[in-house]
Amino acid sequence: MKPVILPATMAALYKVSEYVLTAAATAKLNKKATYCLRLAVDETATNIVSYGYALEEQGRLYLSSRCDEQQLAIILEDTAAPYNPLAALAAAERSLQLPFEQRPIGGLGVYIAWQSADEFHYELVGDRNRNTFVMYRDPTSE
Amino acid sequence: MEIQIATRADIRIAALRGDVNATTAAEIQRRMLPFATTGEKILLDFSQVTYMSSAGLRMLLSLYRQAAAKQGRLVIVGLSDNIRDTMSVTGLLNYFTTCENLDAGLAILGWSV
Repeated sequence: MKPVILPATMAALYKVSEYVLTAAATAKLNKKATYCLRLAVDETATNIVSYGYALEEQGRLYLSSRCDEQQLAIILEDTAAPYNPLAALAAAERSLQLPFEQRPIGGLGVYIAWQSADEFHYELVGDRNRNTFVMYRDPTSE
Repeated sequence: MEIQIATRADIRIAALRGDVNATTAAEIQRRMLPFATTGEKILLDFSQVTYMSSAGLRMLLSLYRQAAAKQGRLVIVGLSDNIRDTMSVTGLLNYFTTCENLDAGLAILGWSV
């Protein structure tokens, strides 16, 4: 799919989901994989808007996709301060071990994103954070 | 997102429709928290909710804690398999009272036809 650049605002997050859903439909991902991919990208984009850009509306989200016979990848980039969301995974996993009453109310997003995508990669490329979400295509759903 | 709130006997029923995400969860919380008062019974009907992100989980946690602190009760009905999975992987599913459908939820909260 053609890459898109979106404003990094809460109001534009639905367009991130629309992009993912269209890419998933084009790649003929099944319903479960489509839902999981949307969830992984939405959680991460929400964190970028809320914390990366700290709700500053000049920020941009750069979305692109790559599809081959085996997999669909959604690539989400931003120019906020360098931040590896996967570095927060260990803390998120630790908080899941706490009794319900003591759990911090945030920090679930990155854990859900990690659990939902078949692969979740982070790299810093120049001044951009690049998050890549991969879902494997099921050849039987063609 | 649409929220329709109804009252049946002493039970507040909130029927949600659409996506529960970072932009809609705050609105649901704002509408529902005033009902989480002493001894109140709240039923959230998720049967028309097609998507929920962690913002929805945070909303449910806040509502649950508020209700529990005031000896209220919260029941969630009609969760889709996808939403149930999200609640399950985060270890939250078992903490909530969930039912298949509205009638079962109302029965748990003491409503009988």
